[in-house]
Order: sequence, then structure tokens, then C-alpha cells
Amino acid sequence: MLSLKLAISVAAILLAIGLPIAYWIAFSRWRWKFLVEAIVALPLVLPPTVLGYYLLVGLGPRHWAGQIWQAWFGHTLPFTFGGLLAGSVLYSLPFAVQPIAAGFDGVDRRLIEAAWTLGASRLATFLRVILPLSTAGAVTGLVLSFAHTIGEFGVVLMVGGNIPGVTRTVSIDIYDQVQSGNYDTANQTALVLLLFSFVVLAVVYGTNRRALAVWRRRE
Amino acid sequence: MSLEVAIEKRIPGFRLAVEFSADGAPLGLLGPSGSGKTMALRAIAGLETPDRGRIALNGRVLYDSVRRINVPARERRVGLLFQNYALFPHLTVAQNVSFGMSRSSPDEKQRRVAERLAAVHLEALAERYPATLSGGEQQRVALARALAIEPAALLLDEPFSALDTHLRGALERQLRETLESYGGSTVFVSHNLEEAYRVCEKLVVLSKGSVAAQGPKEEIFRHPPTLEVARVTGCKNFSAARRLTDGRVEALDWGCTLRVAQEFAQPPKHVAIRAHHVRIHPAVKRSPENCENIFPCWLAAMTETPFRVTLDLRIGAPPANSADFHLQAEIFKQEWESFRDLPQPWEVELTADRVFLLAD
Repeated sequence: MLSLKLAISVAAILLAIGLPIAYWIAFSRWRWKFLVEAIVALPLVLPPTVLGYYLLVGLGPRHWAGQIWQAWFGHTLPFTFGGLLAGSVLYSLPFAVQPIAAGFDGVDRRLIEAAWTLGASRLATFLRVILPLSTAGAVTGLVLSFAHTIGEFGVVLMVGGNIPGVTRTVSIDIYDQVQSGNYDTANQTALVLLLFSFVVLAVVYGTNRRALAVWRRRE
Repeated sequence: MSLEVAIEKRIPGFRLAVEFSADGAPLGLLGPSGSGKTMALRAIAGLETPDRGRIALNGRVLYDSVRRINVPARERRVGLLFQNYALFPHLTVAQNVSFGMSRSSPDEKQRRVAERLAAVHLEALAERYPATLSGGEQQRVALARALAIEPAALLLDEPFSALDTHLRGALERQLRETLESYGGSTVFVSHNLEEAYRVCEKLVVLSKGSVAAQGPKEEIFRHPPTLEVARVTGCKNFSAARRLTDGRVEALDWGCTLRVAQEFAQPPKHVAIRAHHVRIHPAVKRSPENCENIFPCWLAAMTETPFRVTLDLRIGAPPANSADFHLQAEIFKQEWESFRDLPQPWEVELTADRVFLLAD
């Protein structure tokens, strides 16, 4: 299932780039930090078509960014799975970064300082104190970016188009079927998507709560 | 063993400028909240960067603004006991204690953790999580954790403030024992003067970001140099003073003349006496030469605690209301009961060797 592959890839990439961005947002004292926060949050308010449009144009063969990409990889990004991935990662960025940053922010500063006075480097402090104490934020970020990618439509259509097996995700598929009057198929696909999303969310939130309870409520 | 601190730091609305040193004996940083104690401690630990100055530990420079040295907290080897202990909630007691230990084999580490926990009598709790421990147990884990890095200096930030009163006595005794066997410099931050007095040999009194007094604790308590220090060390009775001849001063606010045993070079501004040094007797007939530092007094108000009472007294004339008093006296209940029903005025005695003078 293309949507699933896309969503898993997006969630994995977002976890990798979201952690450092969130760390920077949570702990940097740079005075212009709010500008970066605003940029990261842009996809929340921007219509997906606007984001998709810029990606389409920027990564297309007429723009320098697209030309560089083409020179390195031999093809342009729009209308490929790679293009879809790039668009989805950007579009879901705030959904991953914000909960992770909130999780980091919620870690008691004194615990971080305690780790430093005990000789831990910044990386060790992050891995041994900050990250374990903000798993809830990280998991929420992961789940939200996953779920958000499964359900997205505008960016996919703009950047990926509608190529079966390459860029036709479930949401596009439903749109297609409704357009051609196949309400029964659309209905089934929609229901599968609904149930799948619900189950994923329920499982993650449920296990997340139990994982946290291990050290908070023992005995 | 020596810790030398001379730093300055400005933040909006506050300026810290302190200079003090600690050797092998525990040093107490005493002062009201907002006096800069915690900030000074954090600067030593490397969690706060001063604007100017120098911090050196056993000759090793940790911070020097002139030479542009600022050793990061993780390399300072300074143990810090946080006010709320800051134990890692997701790690067990044993994992907390071993957190900062240098790399070594698992067996070796386990042995050292057991040793550290035994030293604070917590062997049985090694596998528990901090949330399941009492406040006193958490404090001991934090102490074991701070000492596990074999720090060159140990900083304690109000280690008893988060505990119930009935726990403090035993924990304080244990802390004193631990500090005796610890070889490095200790700085103990407190706003509780009795606690600081018991734990420390030397005291530094901070007030509004600067050092108001420092020296051996007995000296600071017996002769605080300023009104501020006298207040911080718990003195409650002050009067403006004017020096007379032959070792006497006039206590202007109290309306009486006192003989003072203390040698005092400068002209005194205030005369003071601690509440538990004020003595009260029922009135007796006295010859004039026997009346020195003894005055008739009336009771304005009384507050009791389980074993003691505090009496607000007025010298010379009956008080107009309960807020009209000159002195506070603190005495045991038993003593209070011996004269409470006798007619007033009673006699208040401000013994010459208990009265002290303040220059500022």
C-alpha cells in the first residue's frame, strides 16, 4: 500500500530531522528563534496547494534547485515517489517538531543541569536524560506525522500528481473513485482508512501511557 | 583543600559581587532569600557564568574573566546537591548514583555503587525509583550521587528545606558525619542560621548580593559587624545608640542607659541584644549600685510555642497597646510560669557581656 509506505518513510525521516530541530527550538537562546519557529509552523496555516506549488516550481527543471537535483540524480523530483516524500516531510514538519519540542521543553532544567555537573556531555545528557524523559512528546510527534501523511491530499496532488503505483495514495484514490461515480469502492476505501487510522492512534496512545507509568506509578 | 571565589554578575534588578574562600572545613553561605546565595553556588558549579572575576579550586582555575577561562560544568568535578535533589525519575537509585561514575567494568561499578549506598544507609533501596522514596531518602541518594564523582568540592543548596521538620535532625547528623569523612571543600547554602551554625565552621553572610560578614561562626554570632548581619543571625532587639563615657551607651529607642563590656573603637550606631539573652525577674528592692542594666518592664504581648514563650516588653512605662514594646525576650515556659502571675512591673536585665554594639 503506497500510502503506508509513504507515511512510514515520512515518520522515520521526520523523527531523524525533527529531533535536532526540536532540540534547537527547545534550548536555543538565540533572540531571533521565533522566526525559525514561525517557518517550521508555516505548513499549519498555509493551504497545501501553496506549499505544493512552490515545491513543484522550485524542484522543477526550470529552477536552480531543481536543476541541481537533476544534475545529481538524473531526474527531477515532481511526479516521483521522492518528490512526494519531500513534499510530505515538509508538510508534516510542524506535526513532528512541535510535540517533540514541547516534550523537551517539559524536562525539568535542573535534571539537565544535574547531568552536566555529574560530568555528562551535551550528547550524553540528551540521550540519557532528555530523550527518555520526553518519550511521550517524541511518540506523539511520530504518530501525528504518520497520521497526517496518511490523510494528506493537496500537497500530494500538486507534487505527486496521480500516477498509479507511484504517487496515487489512498486519499487520491478515494477522490478518483468519487469523481468517476464509484461510491461503493470509495466507501470501502474510506472505511478502511478510518479504521486503520483509529487503530494506529489507539494502540500508540495506549502503549505510550503504559510505558510512562512504569516509573511514575511503581508501587 | 581550597576554594577561592571572587565574582561579579549583574542581572536586571540585581548585582552579585562576592568574595570568599573555603578550606577543608564546611563553609556556610547564609542570607535571606534573594541575597544571591544560590547564584553564587551555581557560578561555582559552572551553571551560571559571572561577568567578571575568578574561581579557583585547589589551585585549578575554573573561571577567570581576565584569562578567558571558563571550564564547563561537566569538567569541573564539583558536586552539587540541588534544593529539590533533581534525581532522574526514569532511573533507579543505583542508576542515579552510578550516572556520573567514570567508565569501569560493570562489576567494579556495581561494587562502587553498593559502597556509596552503604555510606548513606540505603543499600536496600538500590532498585527502587526516586518517586517511591521519602524526601529524606531522596536527599541521601542525591548526596551519594554527588559524591560518586569524587568531586573536589561539594555544594549543598538548602539540603533540608524540602523536608519535614521531624526528619531534619537525623538527616543533619548524618550529613555532618558524611562531610567529616569527605576530603574536599564544602559550601553549604542556607537561610536557617541554626542549621548553618551546626553544620559549618566558617560563615559568609550575604545581603543583597554582597558579603556582609565572614569569619568563624562564633565570632559572627557574638559580634555581628552590622545591623543587617545581626538580623540575619537572628537578633531581634535593636536600639539607636549614643556613646557616653566610662563604657556606657544610651539606648535611645529604649530610653535607658546600658553598660557594655564589648571594646568598640568606632562610635556605635546601634546597640543590640538577642532575645534569648534577655533575662526577666520579678521586681525586688535593690540598692542603686545594684541596678546596672536592670529596668522595670511591662508585658505588651506574648506568643507561645510548645516549650518556649516570646514576651514583648516595654521598658519604663506600661504599654499603650500590644504593639507598643521595646524588646523581645525568649524564655522557657517553666521560667515564665514562675513569675507570670506576679504583679508588674517586672525587671528586665540586659547583661553587659550580652549586649553588643553595631557600627552600621
